[in-house]
Amino acid sequence: MLTTERRLLESTPLEDSKPIPRSNRRRRVPRSSRTLNILISVALVLGAFATAFPFFWMVTSALKTRSEALAYPPKLLPETITFDHIAELFTQLDFTKYLGNTVAVVLISFVGLLLMAMAGYALAKFDFKGKKVMFFIVLVTMMVPVQVTMIPTYLILNGMKLTNTLLGIALPTLVSGFSIFLFRQFMLTIPTDMLEAARLDGAGEIRIFAQIVLPLAKPILAVQAILTFIAGWNSFLWPLIIANDQNLYTLSVGLALLNDQIATDPSLQMAASSVMVVPILVIFVIFQRHIVQGFSLSGLK
Amino acid sequence: MRARLVPYLFLSPAMLMLTAFGILPLFVAAFVSFTNMNLAGLGNWSRIRFIGTTNYTELFSDEEFWQSLGNTAFFALIGVPGVIVLSLAVALMLNRGSGRFHRALRAFYFVPAITAIVAIALVWGYLYNTQFGLLNYLLSLIDVPPVQWLSDPLMAKFSVILVAVWRGTGLNIIIFLAALQAVPKEYLEAAEIDGANEWQRTIRVTVPLLKFAVLFVTITTIIAWLQFFDEPFVLTHGGPLGATTSVSLFLYNQGFAASQFGYASAGSVVLFLIIAVITALQLRSRRTNVDY
Amino acid sequence: MSRIKTMTVAAIAAATLAVGASGCASSPATSSGSSANPVSGPVTFWVMGDSATKFQDLVKPFTDETGIKVNAVAIPWDSIDQKFTTAVASGNGPDLLQIGISKLRNFADSGSLAPLQDKVGDYGSLAAENFIDGMAGDDTKVNGDTLSVPWVSDTRVLFYRSDILNANGITNPPATWDDLRSDAKKLTARGEGQFGYYVPQWDSALPVAMTWGQGGSVVNNDGKIDFNTPEFQKAVDLYTGLYGDKSVPTDSNFDQTQGFVSGATPMVVSGPYLAKAINDAAPELKGKWSATTLPAGETNTSLLAGSHIGMMANSAHQDSALKLLDYLSKPATQLEWFKINSELPAVKAALSDSSLSADPLNAVYAKQLENAKVLPLVPNWDGGVGKDMLKALNSIALTGSDRNSALEQLYKSTSDVSTK
Repeated sequence: MLTTERRLLESTPLEDSKPIPRSNRRRRVPRSSRTLNILISVALVLGAFATAFPFFWMVTSALKTRSEALAYPPKLLPETITFDHIAELFTQLDFTKYLGNTVAVVLISFVGLLLMAMAGYALAKFDFKGKKVMFFIVLVTMMVPVQVTMIPTYLILNGMKLTNTLLGIALPTLVSGFSIFLFRQFMLTIPTDMLEAARLDGAGEIRIFAQIVLPLAKPILAVQAILTFIAGWNSFLWPLIIANDQNLYTLSVGLALLNDQIATDPSLQMAASSVMVVPILVIFVIFQRHIVQGFSLSGLK
Repeated sequence: MRARLVPYLFLSPAMLMLTAFGILPLFVAAFVSFTNMNLAGLGNWSRIRFIGTTNYTELFSDEEFWQSLGNTAFFALIGVPGVIVLSLAVALMLNRGSGRFHRALRAFYFVPAITAIVAIALVWGYLYNTQFGLLNYLLSLIDVPPVQWLSDPLMAKFSVILVAVWRGTGLNIIIFLAALQAVPKEYLEAAEIDGANEWQRTIRVTVPLLKFAVLFVTITTIIAWLQFFDEPFVLTHGGPLGATTSVSLFLYNQGFAASQFGYASAGSVVLFLIIAVITALQLRSRRTNVDY
Repeated sequence: MSRIKTMTVAAIAAATLAVGASGCASSPATSSGSSANPVSGPVTFWVMGDSATKFQDLVKPFTDETGIKVNAVAIPWDSIDQKFTTAVASGNGPDLLQIGISKLRNFADSGSLAPLQDKVGDYGSLAAENFIDGMAGDDTKVNGDTLSVPWVSDTRVLFYRSDILNANGITNPPATWDDLRSDAKKLTARGEGQFGYYVPQWDSALPVAMTWGQGGSVVNNDGKIDFNTPEFQKAVDLYTGLYGDKSVPTDSNFDQTQGFVSGATPMVVSGPYLAKAINDAAPELKGKWSATTLPAGETNTSLLAGSHIGMMANSAHQDSALKLLDYLSKPATQLEWFKINSELPAVKAALSDSSLSADPLNAVYAKQLENAKVLPLVPNWDGGVGKDMLKALNSIALTGSDRNSALEQLYKSTSDVSTK
């Protein structure tokens, strides 16, 4: 990468022609009193604990026996740890299949990422007739209540013969106004001169997009990747409605199935919920460095 | 490749889908709102009758609809500032360090945002249970009488708001964190040299520079809270006595449980218009920050 | 501005075209593209809850014998409305589906269920007399059509902690509602946080059963809902009286299993699902609790609930589906399903089978089912009449609303609802 590109990548945007001198990046916050530091750290830890506590409860309940789960007064930690509930999910119920379907839906959703990046790029870096209207439409779709879209969307998918297919499940949420908006904000900060220079050199538009824009957009792509993963992983409504066949159910639907009309098995449900959360957490931990960096370069100053 | 066509080509796949699955249904709903469509009509279109604005007049004289509007306003007025202030505060605190400790804490704050709503309902339903739940048990240890978290009409509103705020801060904290990383340190140093203490630096320098992030978070949070659905649906089913029924939940009940699609569509159109007007007002008041 | 106008018009046109096109594409003549001979299936069956595998096991002998394949799909209880709606909208549904009785009227009104009255004569097991009284035939017809046949039954009986009752001088569970009220008062006197009975605030069947118990009905001779009767008044007295006695907890999210197991609420009217929950949660309580038929006013009519099975009108496998229905209604199949999935049979012969009634609890359920009625088959009982009734009762009992005005409001909002 050229040095100018690297500096732009690491600079803070909005005024995209003023790179911040290196000396100012990532400097530690000016020292304040130690007591304040400790106080704030304690507050953060307490807050983090309170925030994550329900999650912690969920996981321990998944590992408790059923009678312990219902015990009153409630005990925090299980006296006997049992993996039976988790095992039951995969052996007696169909969670392996649901897992496979969920992964497939997530992968299809990633195609949407590309399409949204293209749309954001067009809205950011081109001037054309109807641009305002298109952007307006993007904003409007963020405001439409979900219940409104259900039946018409189903009818459309039915007409396209996509019901009971994985593609049909992934399609309604493939693109979202929120993400296009976010892409656009980021791409506003890509210096147009660079693109013009490439055009003058004779590079085609697709090549410019693929070899200049996308690499520069890596951080925001990482962010959107996480968000797409989360949405696809937790998707419930469309898998439920579009699938006529239990073989296409995703993890969320499998979890809902465990909610028998009145006689539920809470331990099993907690186990299923834990299974669903853990992979996302892992992905988040791995990618979070990219996330924060990504948002900082998205013109959100 | 024709230069003029390029933006359209890049835009069209995404726009096509947005239009098909976002805009089109809106028009269908608007159309249906003037009919008496129900389950029978859905199965056989010849059974649908055009009834003009009857749905709308019925809607506006429906006590439950007004109750749900009031509830939604209550939720939004408390929840939105709650989420924004909390997210900003936590982000400001987390931003004071960049080491492993702080990065680990981020994960904790993000967890609620990534948990499936079904799981959240289970856990919080248990925590909130009046007789056997953990929260009241902890209160009993310090001799506080049990709180009717989900059974008292007023308390239930706050309980539901709490869960929604808990869930909503995660993503916004990350957004603010990123925005904070982009604040030029030179400004802060200059302020420190001028004698401002940390609090003053934060309020006078940092926060104003976050204007756009705050606007972005505000708009998306308001839109989300006006469409408030998940938490009341799973925690209280809109009860007790309709105290936690939001407009979205009301529409869901009308549309699916009662299969009154015409009526529910009218409500959806009204909700959409409310959201659109509020969003437009916000954008207009900060016109400079949204480049076209 | 005109640009927006043109786009709007274009969008509406496109919308209409798209919806119209999809409507045409899904003309309901044929269901899911099965190239097999339409008569021999496969028959798609929607079963509620996570019971698909169990159902497949149940129908294996049927498939072996007839060669008709059955494809069971599990539907989450909370989502059946959405699934049915989209099935109706697209014409793409199952062949058979399990229908909770509370949803029967709604689904019937859609016009998407096939009338069966002319067909049931061809199949021995489907005759109305075979099923529990009140569950088949005229009792569950909608607008003169038989649109479903019974599948599994459910009822409500009185569960009680025999150990706690005995310890407090009550040797036999209450046989009348008056007895129950006085017993409950005695048990509440045990101390702080202890009650005698539990009234679930979401249970719309209980006040109706109380009305039936007084010899009354909530439906008048014209088939319309009518709460303005002396019997319902007595039921209101009983319901609100229990709260007035402070014998019942006032929390809406009180967990009846935990209450029963911990002894806080040693008596409760509930269904067989509670027995299962108690056994799972507290096996050590075995022998310390039991159940008996509902307390009586003049009689002790209880709730008749459960599920039916309906056939979609546009099913392409109607003959095979009916054969399956016939198989499912045989006493042997019903008993087998009870063994596998613990849902009570709807067929009288199965219910009185000795293998079932050997367990005393089952005997209680069977006895109660001899005197049980379904809730009125009005549209959207749960979200309409039932909800309004509970709202009125709970507002009187819990928030101290004026009784007369709450009831007047109830009469007004429900007087036009009809079972026809």
